Formats: sequence, C-alpha cells, structure tokens
Amino acid sequence: MRQMVSFTLRQGGYEVIEAEHGQDALNKLQGIMVDLILTDLNMPVMDGITLIQNVRKIPAMKNKPILMLTTEGLASKKEQGKAAGATGWIVKPFDPDKLLQTLAKVLP
Amino acid sequence: MKIDLSQFRQTFIQESADHIASMETELLQLRTAPDDVELLNSIFRSAHSIKGGAGSFGMKNLAHFTHSLENLLDRMRSLEMVATDEVIDILLRSVDVLRNLLNADPNANPGADMPADAVELDGLIAALMAEKPAQPEAATKDAQQPVSWPQEYPQSLQDGREIKLYKVEFRPDRELFSSGTNPITLLRNLASLGTVSCCHLHEEELPALADLDPSQCYLSWTVELASVCAEEELREVFEFVEHLAETRIHCADDPEPTAESPAQSSTEAAVPAKLPGSDGQSALVERRKAPSVDRRQSSVVDRRQSNTRPAGSGESSSIRVAIDKVDRLIDLVGELVIAHVMTAQMVEAFEPSCLPKLREAVAAMERNTRELHERVMGIRMLPVGTLFQRYTRTVYDIAQSTGKQIGLETIGEETEIDKSMLELLGDPLTHLIRNSADHGIEAPAARLAAGKPEEGQITLKAFHRSGRIVVEISDDGAGIDPERVRRKAIERGLISAEVQMSDEQLIALIFEPGFSTQEQISDLSGRGVGMDVVKRNVQQLNGTITVESEKGHGMTVTIELPLTLAVMEGLLVGVGDRTLVLPLLSVIESVPLRNSQIVRVAERGEVVVIREESIPLLRLSRFLGLAQETTDSENSAEGNNRRRLAVIVEVGRRKVGLVVDELLGQQQVVVKSLERNLHRIDGLMGATILGDGCVAPIVDVTGIGALDLFSLQTPVKNFPQVVPPAQSVRAASSN
Repeated sequence: MRQMVSFTLRQGGYEVIEAEHGQDALNKLQGIMVDLILTDLNMPVMDGITLIQNVRKIPAMKNKPILMLTTEGLASKKEQGKAAGATGWIVKPFDPDKLLQTLAKVLP
Repeated sequence: MKIDLSQFRQTFIQESADHIASMETELLQLRTAPDDVELLNSIFRSAHSIKGGAGSFGMKNLAHFTHSLENLLDRMRSLEMVATDEVIDILLRSVDVLRNLLNADPNANPGADMPADAVELDGLIAALMAEKPAQPEAATKDAQQPVSWPQEYPQSLQDGREIKLYKVEFRPDRELFSSGTNPITLLRNLASLGTVSCCHLHEEELPALADLDPSQCYLSWTVELASVCAEEELREVFEFVEHLAETRIHCADDPEPTAESPAQSSTEAAVPAKLPGSDGQSALVERRKAPSVDRRQSSVVDRRQSNTRPAGSGESSSIRVAIDKVDRLIDLVGELVIAHVMTAQMVEAFEPSCLPKLREAVAAMERNTRELHERVMGIRMLPVGTLFQRYTRTVYDIAQSTGKQIGLETIGEETEIDKSMLELLGDPLTHLIRNSADHGIEAPAARLAAGKPEEGQITLKAFHRSGRIVVEISDDGAGIDPERVRRKAIERGLISAEVQMSDEQLIALIFEPGFSTQEQISDLSGRGVGMDVVKRNVQQLNGTITVESEKGHGMTVTIELPLTLAVMEGLLVGVGDRTLVLPLLSVIESVPLRNSQIVRVAERGEVVVIREESIPLLRLSRFLGLAQETTDSENSAEGNNRRRLAVIVEVGRRKVGLVVDELLGQQQVVVKSLERNLHRIDGLMGATILGDGCVAPIVDVTGIGALDLFSLQTPVKNFPQVVPPAQSVRAASSN
C-alpha cells in the first residue's frame, strides 16, 4: 500500500519520505520540514491518530496539512482524526487520481 | 493524470499471501489466548491491508469479503465479541476463502460472482454479527453494508448542467488553523470551480493588533461565483472543514439558502439513500454526507473502467531477496570483472614472467566464482519455518474432525533450504503429517488406556547433517504394527506368506505402491496412494526417506535431502576407464584396499574391516555394470596385486565402502539431470560435464545406501548408454 502511495506521489512530482509506522514517522520528522503528512490510521507500534496528535505538538508542524487515509467511512474514526488535528481524509480504496486531487486541495 | 498501478499487483499478491499466512498462525494462537488484544489487532491489520489493496486493484470479491471479515475482527478486537472456537473456526475457513479469492484468475471478469464458499462464509459472518449485537443498530448496519455496497454505483453520474450563480458564505471558527487548513487554499479551490465575480472579506471581528492572537482565524468571506458545477461540488471544497466552519451556499436560482449546520446531525443514517443529482428537486435537502458517498461511487466507476486492461505483470513465480544479499552479489561481480580485465591484459602481452601473476588472477577468479555460487544459492534459500507454519493448521483441522487432541511442535524452523525444494517438499510433508495425525495418534481414550498423555504430540524437526538437510516427522502414537503390515502385504500380494522378513523390512513395505493398513479409509489421509507417492517425491529431490517405528510408542519418518540440486563439490574417481563423481560431502576417507583384505560373508556380500569396524563394500564397477571387473577373476594373482581404493562414504548413519580404481581429483560439478534426457536410474543422481568435455555420471550415494546392500550383487540394468563403451552394458547384463 505504502509503495503505491509513494509511487503515485512521486509520479505526481512530490518528494516522498516513507515511514513504517507512526513512531517511525515521528523519528523521521526530526530536523526536517515537510509540507504535508499523509498517514494511514491502522498501523503497528503507533497508530495514525496518535501520530497526528504528536505531530501537532511539534511547533513547526502546527499548521501543516495532515491527511489520513481511511477505509472506515465510519464517522467515529473521522471524528477522532479531526479532533486530533487532521486536515482532511482520503477514503480508500486507494485511487491514485483521487489522492493527487485531494493533495492539491489542501496544499497551498 | 492516469497512474498505472499494475506493476504493484504482484507485490500486493505476495504480501497478501504473507498476511494470510500470518493471520492463520495468529488465529491458531488465538485459541489459547482468546482475549489477546495485540494478537487481535495484528489479525485485524492483516485483513485491513488486504482489503485496501484489493480495492485498489479492482479485486472486488476479495475487497468485499475482507470487508465483512474486517467488521467481525473489529468487533473482536474491541472485545465486543469473544473469540470462541466457533468464531475461530469460521475465521479459519475465511482465511481459506481469502486465499482462494487472492489466487483467482486476475484476467477473469472482474464483475464475476463471488464463489459459493465465499458467499456461504459471508453469510456466516453476517449471522455472527447479527447474533450478538453489542450495539444493535451499528451491527445491522455493518452486516448489511457489504451487501448494499456493490449495488450503489450504477446510478452515479450527474447530468443536466447549466451555469448557476452561487453566493458562498464561509465563516471559519477561530480554531481553523489548528487543523492545518489554509483558508486561502480553500478559496482558491472554490475559485477554480467557476468565475468569481465578487469576493468580500469580513474583517469586523479582527481585534486590535495588541489583542491579536495569530494562531486564531478572525476573518470570514463571502464569494459570488458563476459555475456550471452542482452545489455538491462546491460543498466538497469545504468537506474537510465542516466541523470548523459554517458554510452557507445560496444558489441564485433557489429562493432559499441551503443551511449547513456544523457536525452533529442526527440524520446521518438516512442520508446515503438520497443521492445527489437524482434531480433538481433535492437541491434543498440536507446532504452533509452525500459528497463522500458520491466520491466513493465515482472512484469505483473509474476503477472498473481501468480494469478492462488485462493485468500486465504476469504470474511468473518470483522470489524476494534481502537487499544486502543482492549488494554482495554485485560486489562479487565487480571483482570478477576486475579479475577478468587483469587476465585479459596479461594474455594479450604474455611473457613467461607474467605467469605467477596470471596464476594469482585465476585464483582470484576461482575464489570469486565460488563465493558467487554460494551466494547465488543463498538467494534461493528459505527457512523451512515458512513451510512448517502451515501444518499447525493441518493438525488443527484433523484434531477438530477426529476429536483427538494433538499438539504440533516444530524445531529448527530457521534451517534454510532451497526454495524449489521447499515447494516440492510441501506435499510429501502434508501427507506424512496427516498420516501421523490421522492414523498414528490414537483417540484420547485409547491413549489414556495405554498410559500416555491425552494429548498426542507430533514433532516436526529440521536440521543439517553432513551437508544434507534432514526433516523428521515423529509422533508418539501407536506406531506401525509389523504384523499387520505383513498380513496386509500378503493380502495385497506384495509378499508371499512364507517369506521371513525382519520388522524393519516389513515396515519398509509401506512405501510399496498400493499399500494402506488403515482398514477404514478416511478422507483425511487418502486411500493408500500415499506413502509410495511420498517416496517418489522425495526421490525426485535426490533425497531418501526412512521409517523407524516402535509399536505402541510412535514412529519417526526421516527425510534426507541435499542442500541444493544444482552445483556440488565432487570427488572424481576412476573406475575402469571411466570417470565417476562422488559427492564430496558424503565421503569420509579413502583407504588402499587389497583383495586379501576383503572378507566374504556367505551368500551376502563383502565387507572390509577398517579399524575394527566392518564396512560393507560395494564394487562400483559391478554395481554400475562396467566390464572390467568380470575379466578380473577375483582369486587370480593379478586381482590380488592390483591396487584399488575403498572410498568410505557416509549414508545416513551407515558407512559403505565404494571400491574404485583411483582418485582423480576434486572439483565443483554442475549437476545435470539424467531424467530430463534419459530416465531415472537407480544409483545415479545425474551427470556432469568435466573440464575436458567428457560426461561423468554422478553416483547417488544416498540412493545406494538406501538399497539393501547385500542384495546388490546384480548390476543395474539401465546404465545409460550415452556413456561409452556401450558394450560393457551388455556384458554386464549377461553376467
């Protein structure tokens, strides 16, 4: 899945840094600036919601867009994500065009 | 932009197969720890990943089925539902269905119906979900969702477009920035949908600079826009900020504004039924959820269209290799290239003084070639654990259906074995394990009566022994009853009633074609086609299979396999005027041999005594039917004086002395199959081409050891005729 997402993003002209899970993403965020974070919700070690909460605590990342990939069209997950500070969401099944559109929507 | 994801399909299928395997293992673990949340989470994640990918690749049935499964697992991991044996059983069967769906023909009609087993299990899962509704409404909704989902998309696209004039009021909350949303971006997105005639900024709430908190949003906007887009599309721009802003969209054609209330609405459940664009009459309807529904539908449609393309990446079998292994290979190839360049230069301008350097270069090349070989082989090696895993399930299934209690222990999972061998080993092992579980292990009552623990134990063990891989399947069941084997063999006409055989010999009869001692044929372990097929499979891998059994205490089947089939270290020996190759790994030593040292055992054969150990001798020349030995009258003075050698080889736990004329050297040989060109020949595992272009047969030492040595005084009839001199074959068979 991650491969497909990063493939799509690279095709779309973005630079991509991949991370295995939430904790990995947090580690990789140390000392770099990114324009946008795209995260799955179901991940081992640290899930997406926790990741979003933690990212929002980083001053530089306070106002950066964070998108979550979610299969749960269920409101509860979305609400949790919103409460944690997610900017938006992308509903799976994963569709490359949709992904790029949504990205364009939230990136300045 | 159209992005083609088909190149990921193969990876997805591979990864999903891994997920399915780990789900299976974890489900089986769940039996003993039904409330292990970590375990449940992990199973859920596996299902979730499969579902995500399946959707992306248009594998509708798989996506649909995993969706149902995921709902169930989700309930379980939040501990709303208990993992009873019944549930686990359904889940295990679901895993089988997943496997089938995953392996379904990718070129088949993507709209094909669900296979019957999937439909059945889908029903079972839905029934489970409905049975124990922790939250009644959510449960029924979840259970029905998969059914209704595929039917949603026929009526999706919108039509009847005309330019409308909109007035959009956008009033963000103060907290808007906390979600990482940039209102300017939103306005730009809105503007991109049409032509903005007027944009009004409301800055009334903006405080004095001293009171201003820059992390708050004080502004709001009103935009007038001419657009062909439906109101829904405009609303979609603000989809992500529904909870952080008040958005009103007035359409100039409509007298009333469409109210958009923030988040908490109670009408959610009813919304999806009201699809957008079904006609103009619905423009005023509350439609908070509609955009996302719409989105999902149109993406489904897109995928269906892209699906008509046949999947490009074929079904070729592939192998996953750690990157560092590949890197090392590339290094080695680099060194080889350098060595080659060095050699080429020296050959170009050759003078005798170069010779030492040339030798050095050749030696380097040899080192590199050897290492390259080892590493390339290493790429093909996989731990047997990947194979062992699946038997937990096999044993579980049998235990369930027979009412026995059986535990499976696996030892040495990390032992590595050639990938193709691993695949070919699967079937024989399945058969042996079924045999053990079905016929070997007794019913609990019988076990208790025999003074054994109620739970039977099957052990699967892999390890290396003298350059070969040994796989042992042992159980503590009833073992084989030699007397019963004997009766059966007589009944089947395999032996005659008068023949006296040792228990060992009797037990070996189970490998004869058409033999089964289980009176009542069970559907689990076949109908007597078993053990001989197992034996043949193992032989195809140049392996051997042996059984040890102790009546009442269980049995052990031992399979010995070569590490790899392609290249091996060989000892070249001369026999008569031929060169033969012996696998070096099984050679222990070679000793000079005089005829006077050979001790004859009446009617059985010859042995040689070396350091007080009697080792049976096998004259290779005779065994393979070469002519020389026949002219060499065994008691003549010439025969006594002729110097020969006995190469002592280890076969399993036995030693055998092979009589040869001379040792010629040691080198790596590439094993070529005889079967591919001729047919299988007992005693030979293949042939190789030597440096001078000659063909040299490779002696199948293990095969020889498995034969009854003392009955081997007659030569093999089918010696390959490609190896000259041909007349020796005839001479031998008339011997």
